[in-house]
Amino acid sequence: MTITGSDATADAPEEDVAIRLRDTSVYFGMDRGRSMVLNGVDADIRRGEVLGVIGESGSGKSMFASALLDAVPEPGVTTGEVTYYPEEGEPVPVTDLSKAELRSLRWEEISMVFQGAMSSFNPVVTIRTHFVETLSAHDYDVDRGLARATDLLADLYLDPERMLESYPHELSGGMKQRVLIALSLVLDPEVLVMDEPTAALDLLMQRSIISLLEEIKEKHDLTIVFITHDLPLVADLADRLAVLYAFEFAEIGPAEEVLETPAHPYTRALLNATPNLSAPLEEMRPIEGESPDPVNIPKGCSYHPRCPLADEECQQIDPGPYDAGADHDVHCHHWEQSIEDLDVAFEETVDVGTRPSAAGRASGEPVVSLSDVEVTFGSANDGWFDFGDDETVTAVDGVSFDIYENDVLVLVGESGCGKTTLGKTAVGLQKPTGGTVEYRGRDVWEGASGSSLSDDEARRALQIVHQDPGSSLNSHQRVRTILEQPLKRWHPDLDGNDRRERILGMLEYVGITPPGDYVDRYPHQLSGGEKQRVALIRSMLINPDLILADEAVSALDVSLRVGMMDMMIDLQDSFNTSFLAVSHDLSNARYLAEKTGGRIGVMYLGELVEIGPAEQIIHDPQHPYTQALRWATPELGSETEETESPIRSIDIPDPKNPPSGCRYHTRCPEAREVCVEREPELVDVGEGASQPTACLRAQDDPDYRMSESITDDV
Amino acid sequence: MDWKLRRFGQAAFTVWAVMTLAFFLTRMMPGNPVDAFVAQVGPQLDNPQEAYEMAEIYMNINPEAPMHVAYWNYMTSMAVGDMGQSMSQNAPVAQIMAEAIPWTLFVMSWAIFIGFAVGISLGALMAYWEGTKFDTVLTGYATIITSIPFYVLALLLLITFAYRLGWFPTSGRRPEGVTAGFNLPFIFGIIHHAALPVFSMFVASGVASLTMRGNSIRVLGEDYLRVARLRGLPDRTIAVRYIARNAILPMYTGLMIAIGSMFGGAVVLEEIFTYRGMGYYMIQAVRARDYPLMMGAFTIITIAVVIALLVADLTYGKIDPRAGNEGNDAF
Repeated sequence: MTITGSDATADAPEEDVAIRLRDTSVYFGMDRGRSMVLNGVDADIRRGEVLGVIGESGSGKSMFASALLDAVPEPGVTTGEVTYYPEEGEPVPVTDLSKAELRSLRWEEISMVFQGAMSSFNPVVTIRTHFVETLSAHDYDVDRGLARATDLLADLYLDPERMLESYPHELSGGMKQRVLIALSLVLDPEVLVMDEPTAALDLLMQRSIISLLEEIKEKHDLTIVFITHDLPLVADLADRLAVLYAFEFAEIGPAEEVLETPAHPYTRALLNATPNLSAPLEEMRPIEGESPDPVNIPKGCSYHPRCPLADEECQQIDPGPYDAGADHDVHCHHWEQSIEDLDVAFEETVDVGTRPSAAGRASGEPVVSLSDVEVTFGSANDGWFDFGDDETVTAVDGVSFDIYENDVLVLVGESGCGKTTLGKTAVGLQKPTGGTVEYRGRDVWEGASGSSLSDDEARRALQIVHQDPGSSLNSHQRVRTILEQPLKRWHPDLDGNDRRERILGMLEYVGITPPGDYVDRYPHQLSGGEKQRVALIRSMLINPDLILADEAVSALDVSLRVGMMDMMIDLQDSFNTSFLAVSHDLSNARYLAEKTGGRIGVMYLGELVEIGPAEQIIHDPQHPYTQALRWATPELGSETEETESPIRSIDIPDPKNPPSGCRYHTRCPEAREVCVEREPELVDVGEGASQPTACLRAQDDPDYRMSESITDDV
Repeated sequence: MDWKLRRFGQAAFTVWAVMTLAFFLTRMMPGNPVDAFVAQVGPQLDNPQEAYEMAEIYMNINPEAPMHVAYWNYMTSMAVGDMGQSMSQNAPVAQIMAEAIPWTLFVMSWAIFIGFAVGISLGALMAYWEGTKFDTVLTGYATIITSIPFYVLALLLLITFAYRLGWFPTSGRRPEGVTAGFNLPFIFGIIHHAALPVFSMFVASGVASLTMRGNSIRVLGEDYLRVARLRGLPDRTIAVRYIARNAILPMYTGLMIAIGSMFGGAVVLEEIFTYRGMGYYMIQAVRARDYPLMMGAFTIITIAVVIALLVADLTYGKIDPRAGNEGNDAF
């Protein structure tokens, strides 16, 4: 950044700044050249604020976090100034500290919570040891420190004694994340840097941790830097928001202002690209193009290749911070034009309307029909020389649904609820231990031996697109070979030219151009979005009737998700395919299902608790669990903010030993005694369209009305 | 607890199966040892019929008894440690084994211990200085030493240090003319005799060091190591509690398997050094067609492997909390 702000030169900050960055860069030397992963960033982190830093993957946000502690992993080099201003005493130049000084700065003054809480603990020692060794390494009083740790853990709704005695592997992901937060606060730091602290967690857990953070921050007087790719997630929590694009800040300002009147074209595009529950579908647009390569950042404004407003000035001159209102800096030459024109510009291109609802299509013969499907994992006691107990987990417990021609059904639920297992069962990749899966009226497992279908027709008709495109494409084969295989197998009559034509046509159809150039590439030469599109084409090429899309967009950047989902919808239309999508994210589910007039099915601990048209599930959820998911899905600028958590306990019960009666009764705010005993059936409670729900309350069951509430004594 | 019982059950089953297999092979195989024994011994006796009785004495198998009776007698005598009578050594098999095993144990356990200790230390250093000359040279050395069969190294050592230089005895397991017992010359003599066999097993350190290097580098890249450094833990704690412990853990099973298979590995080694341990007697038995001795040695090797694996399984949970004591508690 060549043009610097007006107040950047002063030595002592006039505001109460905790950390100040000036022209801070991080780079890695690579064979291809110098890889700039943080490019001359200026920022002030104010004492007592929550600064939300938003960036897509590869925007330099983790490097920003590491630079605050001068903890960039080797061989990365940090240049520029990072200054820490303690409440009392001299400013500390973080980048010039000796090893010993750094040791006492980190964790005592500035602490950090990492992305990978799952692997942030030494697997062979107890949690207590982690606390003790941290305390003694910093010469803190161990007993007092442990007392503090106990308080912290209790504040995070954990059982301190149990946690301290546990080994890391004995805790669930959400527990580990909370323990890690407690561990990072045990030395009472001033500043807490959190790098994607909730990325690996389920919606409900994410939301619960965010609420806890607010309490913790008040209680311990913290300054928090919260780094995430998920804009809506920090929207409520943050005082100020900073948007990172291509290793620089695009925009930084008060949270409300950035969300309501974003000045940078990228921020506007990102907001439009973020799937959420309330915004009209037509306003969600993907951002064209991909983020730049750190070795080769575009000259001038790094966003200009993707920006609709870009002109010559943008290509030449790096935009300095312009003042877009009090306390609101934006790095764009045309920010005023951006505020005025950009949303309108987007609206003109709207062309997709919602299609007739699934109810209209439900009349025909179902393509795939599941009835009372059960899947059990683990080994039961098999007698001979097996003295063990039954160790079984019922991943799917008696689920029935039908999928019709050109239908979309999205299964949502927390991890471990059995949604992926159910999906795989529906496409014949997992043999059910009970119930039947029928394809066009034929039982797909009939006559099958082992774990593969004997019915070729069904095998062809039921396909899958995996979550991680990186590992579902053979890395030693070219795109051509990958795409030829299904054609050779299912269309042996095609000759080489026809195959090639077909592959090129498909690639072009999904926007991979020029296709002739791409067919000879290996998967690692493709970007994430391109890989996922190739994987999608691979299943499309054989003309399936049903595709299981297992978290097909979760691994993609936020700005690419809507684009990918649009493509799936488009392909579905052209090829007359049905989708069974699996997602942990209600916003994605809503986008996919609502746009196609499809249904959403909500799963909890192996059971389908509610299923119905997307609009109804989102806007009028009947089951308390769906309502909780709805609550947990972060919203942009929604006024009807519920602050009260609708779940009674944060952690999911052990699936090996599910609760009796209604499985949700241990967390349900409406649970009554009858819920503990009686297992509710799926009964249609929808007004208008069908919306079967497994909840006694929603069904207005007489037993429920008579029963006593159990929510107080838990 | 259930899991431990099951594991014991499996171990016992394996031992039983091996013994049963040994019995049926010995008794029923065409040209089986019992028939061979009778054919071999019979003609030399005045009364060829006595050969059958002798077979029972030597092998615990009476060829004339019905199969189930013969089997029962065989198994019960094995159970009380009676492994029959050696033909070539003219002594009970159990006695020969009892006398030979401590020597094998002595040599092999030192070989394994030194191999692993050196391997782990070198591997840790190689990982610490990953990419430096030290690492490159040692990785090369480890690769070469791993690819040399231990008996080739044994021969080279024998030729160089025993025959050419005369620093070490060429054969035997204990010094001549020294009273056996807890006295200095005797202990020194034993070590003197064991030195070359022990060092020819040094090749094991190659594998260990490469494994340790790989494991350590993997651990060095783990998130928890980065967090530990940020938490300001002392370097020594990080090296010992974080890196070494996590890197050595996966090698534990390998160590146990090495211990279990040491009797088998001793066969060639002891033959080269004429070191009168178990392996040496086994070769003698094969040469002399001394079936009882062979069978006894095989059975003991099997039992050793089974016990070592059992110990590895049962203790793994103690050193790695993730494995848990229930075996299936981990995930």
